Amino acid sequence: MYRSVIFALFLFLTTVTSHAHEMIPTYPKFNSSFMDGLLVTTMELFNKRSDVGYYEVAVFDKDFNAIPFVSSYTVYKVDYLQRVKFEIYIRIQDEPNVTYICSRSRVLEQRVSNTSVTSTICSKVKR
Amino acid sequence: MKGIIAFLAVSMTASYALADTGSAPITGNVQSRCIITTDTVGVYGNPNAYTLTTSASDGGVLPVIRFDVTLADAYYAQVTTPTEFTSSPSLSDTVSWTGTTEVKAVSDATNMGDYETNKTTFGSTTQYDLTATGSTWFKSTSVATYGGNKAFPGGAYSATVEAKCIAQ
Repeated sequence: MYRSVIFALFLFLTTVTSHAHEMIPTYPKFNSSFMDGLLVTTMELFNKRSDVGYYEVAVFDKDFNAIPFVSSYTVYKVDYLQRVKFEIYIRIQDEPNVTYICSRSRVLEQRVSNTSVTSTICSKVKR
Repeated sequence: MKGIIAFLAVSMTASYALADTGSAPITGNVQSRCIITTDTVGVYGNPNAYTLTTSASDGGVLPVIRFDVTLADAYYAQVTTPTEFTSSPSLSDTVSWTGTTEVKAVSDATNMGDYETNKTTFGSTTQYDLTATGSTWFKSTSVATYGGNKAFPGGAYSATVEAKCIAQ
């Protein structure tokens, strides 16, 4: 009896306090774009963090050195429980070096609590 | 007349229902993914004038982060404890930082039981190889000590724990 009550309470508390960040696909692939010399891939972000409304995207090589890319924004506004699809364009000559596409949560300064958690998810480019 | 209309209505409904039972396609698309969830936001306790710590025994609250993965051997989890304050009163002396990260709980004790022993630590970052599907909870301890055991100036302090999920 008590076990089930405690378990239900645990589930309730976990559900109430959880905040999640998700990005897919895990293994994106670049394809030809409508512009010569550029490749494109599409990513999708899902924000289940009520404490975060912005996510920064970036492209890196295998050593996490930044690689130039083009997207509609570098910091996307993703409201709570909203999904956002975005395209990442890279130059063809950068393609062999591009390894990771990452999204990182950005916490507004006025929302920073005692300790906050920055979440980063990095997808690995498939070849 | 009414009877004819009722008969037509019933027969049409029945024929649509029969047509529907012929095929009921269900489509789905499952992708491998990693989800980072902040289960508990940490709080610094202040056991003495020159220390801030998330340790529960010192009045703090440990931050707890959950990683959910749907594909085995596909991700690394990295948790980095703070090495600076994101906001604080003006500090004239240096702050020394220590931090540790441990597995708090796992959803599959059989296949995730060795996560803690197999972890690698570099600097303030701890890396885990997520070799099984399911959920793993990590807890981090962060301790900030003000230089020369001086008292921290009064005010609000905040710092950030960084959680990364990197595809292998």
